[in-house]
Order: sequence, then C-alpha cells, then structure tokens
Amino acid sequence: MSGTLTAKTPGAEFLESLKSDFANYLAQAGDTNFVNQRKQAFDLFLNQGLPTPAHEEWKYTNLRKAYEANLATTCLQEEGIADLLASSVLNGLDAYKLVFVNGCFQPQLSALPQAGDLVLLPLSEARKQNAATFDAHFGKYIPLEGYSLNALNTALMSDGAFVQIKKNKKADKPVILFQISDSSLVNAFSQPRNLVIVEEGADLHLIESFLSNGNGTSFTNAVTEVMVDKNAHLEHYKLQRQSDTTYLNHFTQIHQEADTSINHVTLTLSGNMVRNNLHFYMNGRNCNSLLYGLYITDGNEFVDNHTRVDHAMPDCFSDEKYKGILKDQSTAVFNGKIMVHLDAQKTNAYQRNQNILLSKDAVVNTKPQLEIFADDVKCTHGATIGQLDEEPLFYLRSRGIPENEARKLLLNAFADDIAEKIRIPELVQVLEDEIARKIS
Amino acid sequence: MSEETDIIDQVVSQEYKYGFTTDIEMETAPKGLNEDIVRFISSRKNEPEWMLEYRLKAYRHWLTLSEPEWQNFSYPKINYQDIIYYAAPKEKKKLNSLDEVDPELLKTFEKLGISLAEQKRLSGVAVDAVFDSVSIATTFKEQLKEKGVIFCAISEALQEHPELVKQYMGSVVPYTDNYFAALNAAVFSDGSFVYIPKGVRCPMELSTYFRINAENTGQFERTLIIADDNSYVSYLEGCTAPMRDENQLHAAVVELIAMEGAEIKYSTVQNWYPGDKDGKGGIYNFVTKRGSCEGKNAKISWTQVETGSAITWKYPSCILKGEGSVGEFFSVAVTNNAQVADTGTKMIHIGKNTRSRIVSKGISAGKSHNTYRGLVKVAKKADGVRNYTQCDSMLIGSHCGAHTFPYIEIANQSAVVEHEASTSKIGEDQIFYCNQRGIGTEEAISLIVNGFCREVLNQLPMEFAVEAQKLLAVSLEGSVG
Repeated sequence: MSGTLTAKTPGAEFLESLKSDFANYLAQAGDTNFVNQRKQAFDLFLNQGLPTPAHEEWKYTNLRKAYEANLATTCLQEEGIADLLASSVLNGLDAYKLVFVNGCFQPQLSALPQAGDLVLLPLSEARKQNAATFDAHFGKYIPLEGYSLNALNTALMSDGAFVQIKKNKKADKPVILFQISDSSLVNAFSQPRNLVIVEEGADLHLIESFLSNGNGTSFTNAVTEVMVDKNAHLEHYKLQRQSDTTYLNHFTQIHQEADTSINHVTLTLSGNMVRNNLHFYMNGRNCNSLLYGLYITDGNEFVDNHTRVDHAMPDCFSDEKYKGILKDQSTAVFNGKIMVHLDAQKTNAYQRNQNILLSKDAVVNTKPQLEIFADDVKCTHGATIGQLDEEPLFYLRSRGIPENEARKLLLNAFADDIAEKIRIPELVQVLEDEIARKIS
Repeated sequence: MSEETDIIDQVVSQEYKYGFTTDIEMETAPKGLNEDIVRFISSRKNEPEWMLEYRLKAYRHWLTLSEPEWQNFSYPKINYQDIIYYAAPKEKKKLNSLDEVDPELLKTFEKLGISLAEQKRLSGVAVDAVFDSVSIATTFKEQLKEKGVIFCAISEALQEHPELVKQYMGSVVPYTDNYFAALNAAVFSDGSFVYIPKGVRCPMELSTYFRINAENTGQFERTLIIADDNSYVSYLEGCTAPMRDENQLHAAVVELIAMEGAEIKYSTVQNWYPGDKDGKGGIYNFVTKRGSCEGKNAKISWTQVETGSAITWKYPSCILKGEGSVGEFFSVAVTNNAQVADTGTKMIHIGKNTRSRIVSKGISAGKSHNTYRGLVKVAKKADGVRNYTQCDSMLIGSHCGAHTFPYIEIANQSAVVEHEASTSKIGEDQIFYCNQRGIGTEEAISLIVNGFCREVLNQLPMEFAVEAQKLLAVSLEGSVG
C-alpha cells in the first residue's frame, strides 16, 4: 500500500494551500493575543491533520472529495443571491438578518436592529467594537483537541456573526444567520464562525440557515459557539438546504450555565454531504436541553449527525430525538453520546434515533452511546431502523385511502413530530409543507 | 442510606474463594516466546507437520501486529517474553480412567465443586477438565462415542481426527483476525474439541473446566465445536484461577460451526481471579469467540455470566450466513472493585431472514467500569432481517461507570433493528417498598439484582444456573443471595 501507488495522502495539496494561506495571514498580522490564539490553533490542526475515516469519529464520513476539489477561498459572488434569499422558506418571516456569502458579510442584504439590547454584528467588527466581550468568549467553549476542523476554523476563519442579547432582555424578533456558499465562479471554501452570547435571564430565538448557489463544488467548515448564561433561554434552529455539489461541516457548541433551557432543532433537507456536530455542555445545575433533528435524504446524499451532551453538573435534564427518512442510495449516520460526569447525580437523559428506509440501497449507521460515571441517574437510549409500520398502513387503506396517500400521511406524521418542536408558528407550517414536498 | 452504604462496603470487600494453588509437579517450557517455543509446544503435542506450519505462520503474522488501542480501558503493557507458554502436570501418560489421575488434581477440582468422579456418577454432565495448558480428563467418553459424538481434548483430536481439525480450525477465527487470536494460534496448548454427527442430539451437556494454576503462565486454549446437519449440543465452560499479585493472560479462541438446522448452545460462567480490591493482580481475559451459522436455519446461542477477571474483553459473535439462521447473545457482566469489563457481541447478518437477539445486563460496583460494545450489521442482500437488542446497566455505588457503545450498520431497507438501553441504580423507592413489606435491605437488593439478571440466568442449563447464581452471590455478597 505504501509509497509508490498512493504518492500523496488525501488532501495533501489542500493542506499545502492552507499552510500558505496561514503564512500569508501571519505576514500581515501583528503580535496580539488573538493572533497567538490562532497560531496555536493552526499548530494543533497541523498536528492532527485533516480528518479521515481512520479516525473513529469519522469512521463513516469521508471528506476526501471535498479536500481534493481544488478549492479557493473567495468573497466573489455572482448576482442572484438576492433571488435565492427571496425564494427561501424563511423569507416571509419578520426577523433580523445577517447574510454571509462564502463567509463574507453582505450588508446590503442584511437587516440589523437599532442599537440597543440586541447586538448583531459581523464578527470581524465585533472584535474591534466589543473587544472585551469578544476576548472573554471567543474560542472558550469549543474543543480543538480531537477536532482538527475546529482548530482549522479558529486559525483561518472567514467572517461570521456576533450575536449578543443583554441581561434580562428578550429579542423582539428572531435572528436569522444566512450562510450561503456560492460556487458559481470558483469551487468555494469558506469557514464561517459565529459567536452567540445570551446573557443572564435573556431570551433569544436564533435560526441558522445554510444555502448554496452555483454548480461548482463548495466546502463549508462552520463553527458556532454559543454561551447561555444563568437563567436564560435559547431557541436554536438549524435549517440546512444546500445543493448536491456541497460539503458542509458544522460544529455547534452550546455552553449552558445553571437554570438555562434550550430548545434545539436541526433540519437537514438537502445537501450532498452534511456533517453536524452538536455539543451541549451543562456547566450548572438544573439545566434543561432539548435536541431534536430530522433528516430527509435522497439521491446520493449523505448526512452525519454527531451529538454529545455533557452532563457535568447534577440535576440536569436532556431529551434527544433524531429522526430520518432515507430514499434512493442515500446514507445517514447518527452518533449520539451522553456523557454523565462523576457526581452529576439526578441526571435524566434520554436519547432516541429512529430511521425509516424507503429504498433497497439506503444505508444507516447508528451508534447511540452512553457513558455514565454517576450512579443516581436515569438514562435511556434507543435506536430503531425499519420500514413503515404495516399496521397503520393497513388501517388507513381499509378506510379507502390509497396506498400512496397512506404512506405519505404516515411519513408526514413521522417527520412532523420533529418539525412541530419549532416554536415559531409561522415557520412550522412552511417547514411542514417543505417536508411534505421532499417526501412525495 | 447508611445501611445501603454498609452493604456496598461489604460488596466491595468480598474476597475470592477459589484463590488457592495446587502443589503439583509441573513441566514447563522456558519463559518467553520465539519460534523454538512454538516448535517445542508442537513437538510436545506430537502434532502433524501442517499444524506446526500453521502455528509458525500465525506466529510470524503476530510479529507484524501491534496491540489494539481502541478499547475503553487501559492496562499496563504485557511483556510477552515474561510469560510461560506451556505448563503441564508432569508424568503425563495416557489416562484411561479417573483413578489414574493425580489425586492432588482431583482434589483441586473437588474444591472447585467439579468433582470429576462425582459428576460421572450423578449429574450426567460430561466434563473435560483443562488444568493450565493440558486437558486432564474427559468423562463419559465411551457413552458419547456410541452416539458418534466426539468430545475430547483438541490435542487428542489432532491425533485421531486430524482431517476434521484441519478443515475447520481457523475457518471462523483465522489467525489473521486479531492480535490475540494470532498469539493463540501460535501457542495454543490444548482445549476441547466437539463434533456432533448429522441428526444427533447430544445426550448430555458437555462441559469444560479451565483452571490456571502455575505462576507466570498464560493460558491459551482453543475450543472447536462442529455441529453437523440437524444436530444439537449444549456446551458449558467454567474457569477459575489462583490469587496472584501479577496479572496473568488468558487469550483463548473459541470457534463454533453450525451446519444446516443445527443448534449450538454455548454457556460460560467465568470466574477467573479478579485481582484484589486495589486492582492488583487478576486475569486478563482477552478472548475471541465466534460462531458461524453455515447452513439454513442453524442456530447459535451464547450465554455468559462474567464475574471474574481483572479485565474481561471479549465479544462472542455470530456470523449468520445460512438463510433463516438465528443468533442469540445473553450476558450478565458483574464488575466490582477495580475490575473492567468491555464486552458485547457482533451479529453479522449475511443470509436472508436471519434473526438475532441480544440481551446484555451489566452491573458495576466499587470503582469498576462496565462497557457494552456491540455491532449489528445487516448486509445489502440480507432481506427480512430482524434484530432486537436490549442492554441494561445497573450501578451500585457512586464511583463506578457504565458505558454503552452500540454500532448499528444497516444496508437493507427490509431490516427491522431495534436497540434499547437503560441505566439505573437500585432505587430508594424500590428498597423502601421491600422494607415496608418486611424484607430487609440486603435481601431487597438481592431480589432486585436477581430480577434484573433473570432473563439471562434463565438461559443457562440447570446445573450452571445454580452455579451462576452462587457466583453472583460471591461477586456481590452482602447484596445478593
């Protein structure tokens, strides 16, 4: 195997281009703490290398084709982004918006609030204007060790959103972060980075939308870092709808202090290859975390959801449910880990992954994990993989509903179970329609 | 609460009662591992040339491997040059009856509750006793012969039925399979061999008792069971070892082959020395066990009660090739003090309409860690597969851990696969409920643990179910009756 036949390791050229990108960056950068932080991150990245299936966490997911797609980092964009946004299901929603194309901020397409309790800025601006807050939180919550793409993002991130809601305030409208990868001119590589701070007692509704434009290949390596302070509440939704030439890796870290509650929903409706990492860390008592996910895949799509819930303190509750509907030759991976730390007594944690396979060639790999180091806990996890249940199908057909209709009804019910966890009523209907369209 | 703590303390302080050594003259190979040792073992066993070749191939392959590192625990590196790979009671001549067996040995087995002579008269279980590396005595051989059943030491099978051994050895667990399987293939010294001919229902339970006695030895036995078309066999295995300060390695390989319509039921009650309460000493139980359902409607069922060993690391698996074949795995793993168990199963569904069921119960106490790791894999062409997996963990005390790593890989839409798991401790309300009805706390815990494991214990043959319950009592004494 070694040597002659495979002369280079996967992504060797990509790695070289990243090295020269970083060297260019260093040449212009000064010697600040921030630059040092990025330098350390880049070293960590180089030590670990690009993830390959040899890594247990990437056992089923191979980004090699993304690495070898001759990617360029660019802000260039074709027109048509405005049209793309107009056709988005989120278009009708009254909300504040921040739009990024290939990780670059688009002020003319964004809608920002008046200065006040809610601060919405591109991250690059926030680093200058809100330096103290930025320094206090940036990079403090995500793991870099074992997650080389996080390290890469930290070292070479494009721009991203800075969202801050002040103490005891409630945002009057939801916030939408649009991340659009535009590969109409070149094969685009972008590394959006978002930092969200929900201060004590505050309340925020946040939607992250991933879209794509153009027919070239794009690879997005996004990181979202969320800090939720005591007694605050966050509604967090992820909506992923990209084309079949995209690769998306999105790492989300949600750090919770005591008495916080979070409702998270990830909807993956399309995209060539999607890898989500969703990590919750409960750093105080009495946290409440709900994680829900739905993926509907067809064609050659590949969706991988890795979640990890760290119960680091006692008396916390988490409920996780991920559902999938798979058609054609699509593949889904689920890896859920619940980590109950020593002394995190009275933990209640639930985890389920349910999959319906609609075709002979669809593949599901699931691994619901529990790691428990405390004894007074209640933890359950479950996974099911199967076809549509015959009994309800028969019931419906016996009442004169044609088989096709009956199937659709049942699949809709299966999927709506997740869609209805979204607590923005205007959005639920639109999404349910969207799901129905994808299923039929 | 304090009463509960007392009981936990008792649990933690329980000692191992099979820890005696037998003073018997041994013939041992020099320490260390090299090709000469492999040749030495082979020649001692008077093996055919091809067997030696096989061992050497395995040894050379082993040299190219490195120890696995993916497991959920760590152990000090094993020095493979510091192990004696062959130890046998001296004066080995052909034994015809139990009367000729060294009385010291018989005493040992009596102490273990495996009185060979007694067994012969009373219980109707045929026993093959393996002491360190050598099979000591096999009971009931004549009776089994009448039915055409072959039950003997594998070294004997190599002399008398070399064609069978040659055909099947390594067919399920090739020496290239993993690090410890390669080591075993190179240096295995003895073990049991079973062949059940077509259409025969083995008239009695077959049983092997393994005992490590000598110091610094490793035990590398190899078991091969072949059930021909429409036959049935139930096989039991039990193990103990003396208490020693250093860790001893036990790296066995078990291969099961079930032909069309055949059924193999394999039960293990494992009680190797678990080390003292600080985790010093104890057996490393690194075993490769795998069965293959070759023919239609074959069935392989693994049942294990794991209470001993410092580290238990094994995944008895089923390869379900034959259409409609069935694999089952029932396991109770109890860990206490500093013990570690990383166990589970693999169900590889290749044939159509194959079914599997996994029931795993883990109980951790003290500072121990109990991991369930399992794989359910459904191949693309395996239509109509059904799997049900249940793994429950129970934690006693607040310093232990329970971990679950189930891998589920499905490439066929018609598969129905379910996995369920739960982790809990013995609830105060459950104990309160029992107390209220006049059942003492100790007894209540026993009731609850017994109920927790019942599903698995019920799978054991009668003789073993009793022993298993006793073992649970030893491991969790003070809380289990």
